[in-house]
Amino acid sequence: MLSSSPSSFTHPFLSSSPPLSPLSPPSRMARISPPLVSASCSYTCAEDSPRLHQIPRRLTTATASLYDVLEVPLGATSQDIKSAYRRLARICHPDVAGTDRTNSSADEFMRIHAAYCTLSDPEKRSVYDRRMLRRSRPLSVSTSGLGSYVGRNWETDQCW
Amino acid sequence: MAEQAYTVASDSENTGEEKSSSSPSLPEIAVGIDIGTSQCSIAVWNGSQVHILRNTRNQKLIKSFVTFKDEVPAGGVSNQLAHEQEMLTGAAVFNMKRLIGRVDTDPVVHASKNLPFLVQTLDIGVRPFIAALVNNAWRSTTPEEVLAIFLVELRLMAEAQLKRPVRNVVLTVPVSFSRFQLTRIERACAMAGLHVLRLMPEPTAVALLYAQQQQMTTHDNMGSGSERLALIFNLGAGYCDVAVTATAGGVSQIKALAGSPTGGEDILQNTMRHIAPPGAEASGLLRVATQDAIHRLSDQDNVQIEVDLGNGNKISKVLDRVEFEDVNQKVFEECERLVVQCLRDAKVEVGDIDDVIMVGGCSYIPKVRNILKNVCKKDEIYKGVNPLEAAVRGAALEGAVTSGIHDPFGSLDLLTIQATPLAVGIRANGNRFIPVIPRNTMVPARKDLFFTTVQDNQKEALIIIYEGEGETVEENHLLGYFKIVGIPPAPKGVPAINVCMDIDASNALRVFAAVLMPGSSSPVVPVIEVRMPTVDDGHGWCAQALNVKYGSTLDLITLQRKM
Repeated sequence: MLSSSPSSFTHPFLSSSPPLSPLSPPSRMARISPPLVSASCSYTCAEDSPRLHQIPRRLTTATASLYDVLEVPLGATSQDIKSAYRRLARICHPDVAGTDRTNSSADEFMRIHAAYCTLSDPEKRSVYDRRMLRRSRPLSVSTSGLGSYVGRNWETDQCW
Repeated sequence: MAEQAYTVASDSENTGEEKSSSSPSLPEIAVGIDIGTSQCSIAVWNGSQVHILRNTRNQKLIKSFVTFKDEVPAGGVSNQLAHEQEMLTGAAVFNMKRLIGRVDTDPVVHASKNLPFLVQTLDIGVRPFIAALVNNAWRSTTPEEVLAIFLVELRLMAEAQLKRPVRNVVLTVPVSFSRFQLTRIERACAMAGLHVLRLMPEPTAVALLYAQQQQMTTHDNMGSGSERLALIFNLGAGYCDVAVTATAGGVSQIKALAGSPTGGEDILQNTMRHIAPPGAEASGLLRVATQDAIHRLSDQDNVQIEVDLGNGNKISKVLDRVEFEDVNQKVFEECERLVVQCLRDAKVEVGDIDDVIMVGGCSYIPKVRNILKNVCKKDEIYKGVNPLEAAVRGAALEGAVTSGIHDPFGSLDLLTIQATPLAVGIRANGNRFIPVIPRNTMVPARKDLFFTTVQDNQKEALIIIYEGEGETVEENHLLGYFKIVGIPPAPKGVPAINVCMDIDASNALRVFAAVLMPGSSSPVVPVIEVRMPTVDDGHGWCAQALNVKYGSTLDLITLQRKM
């Protein structure tokens, strides 16, 4: 689902710095500048967050498939997918995730939503499934027009 | 009410900085406030349910106005009016929600010019001059100040009843409010010592209440197989708002929003113009009589209107419902247009709508109800909510949810997944508006686009941020602008300017811009991050001034690159 739309292409510097805390300008700037070289860095939760245990670790890895993100099996029905999305929303949405990790939960939730958008649309899902089969490793969340979730494991990212 | 705490706690435009940083140790339950154009209400989660507070006159719905009769202005919370007409002598300022954050070229401001207080326009795109008549002198004020005075009274009333300080609030706002208008609301709250946790578009507050009701009635906790689609329609005195929401398991996902500054005030003015001779619109008596007639037309086919305008001028007229509907045809068409647009944007079939929910004072008008029934092909309107209380109840629920309150019975296992009511983007490709985050995108959202230079060796570029739906920038609201400098010399079309926009859960918008060159994986100059909006007043002027000063020398076009 990588269309030619430029919006599906995000430079690592933005998408790899999710915990942009609006409260701490110095550290925010520091986060933006250094990770540019390592295009392999993944989404990170604040490790110090006490509520991290609520989010399965694999959600935060860049190689997770959309099914992993939603914690559903490959053959999940659309109803399963909807329910999983709602269940995860109730855990990960910044409104309910607790104020101590609002920034990282926003990123997780955006990933979950992007996965849901692809898998809940039969057409997009079948395209995604075919791509996933063709590749030896699963594609990460990278649907057209859905924002900055271009997997860091994709070689073409590096040309930016 | 002498010596009130009319304190300016913070004059910061960007009070949203601290939105999400409420103290985790002692959760203060945020109160919900529905600031209506004509009436306000305030409610709070009391531990088991939503409780709507009443003022000293035992009213749940409190008229939104402030009178400047004495030295100390007094709002509708504490102030007892001797008679309805007293509100119409020029000493009282009301309808502030219609005026807040608008410039004097705005048609809504012009429509407010025959209100009894002074609304003066110079038609140059600055804020209008607003004043109340005190001892035969016009005393100047602003919509923010009026709103702040009113909110202080609401806060004091709530503090007295809840026996605790009240600081955190969730407010409902019209869907069509621009971000600039939202900052005005936040500013009024800051002046009143209130800290805004969330500004919720009105129908999304109703959606949360609906989600709770669905959660209660279906025991199915995760909502498998029981997703319900609802269309929520709000028509108040100032604004019309529509939302389509998909609800299951206590989670309400807003699929689309639509709104416009059309409301009961327009209906009232159209009707006054119809029944009275020109020039009589400013009469307080006429206003009261017409309002009353419109209310009665909701269950009568015709009403008799008798008004003594003074100087021997009397109005005696029978107004029937057909006539009333003719006079207000444009308003009703606008309502219908918004509903149709919202259904289309939500990409749902009319037949899939389970419930049509109508709220707001004007939702009682039979014509409006018929429009909704026709467009949504429903015989019945949802009966589970009180049209005048639904928004404030939803805001109070959101206040409890965002304050981190848990309810052992699961009544607060709720969530509204918001959507952006307006697109945000930048000016590029001449004076086109290029949305970076389109309308009805789920919030929190982060999206980006690539742009490039239009001149060879262009060193600088202007990023001008707009919000709205128009294709050209002139049709949209200017939010702010900044300049990217230090673009390395290169032929036009080579540098890649990445513009990324981020809207967090509390709806704060940040814009990032970075310059990237082929062959380099990192930005060549430091990334710029700007919180929006940055413009304060005279919006149109800034854009014009930029155009005069720079022309197209600092322009950008979208970068079409084979990926």
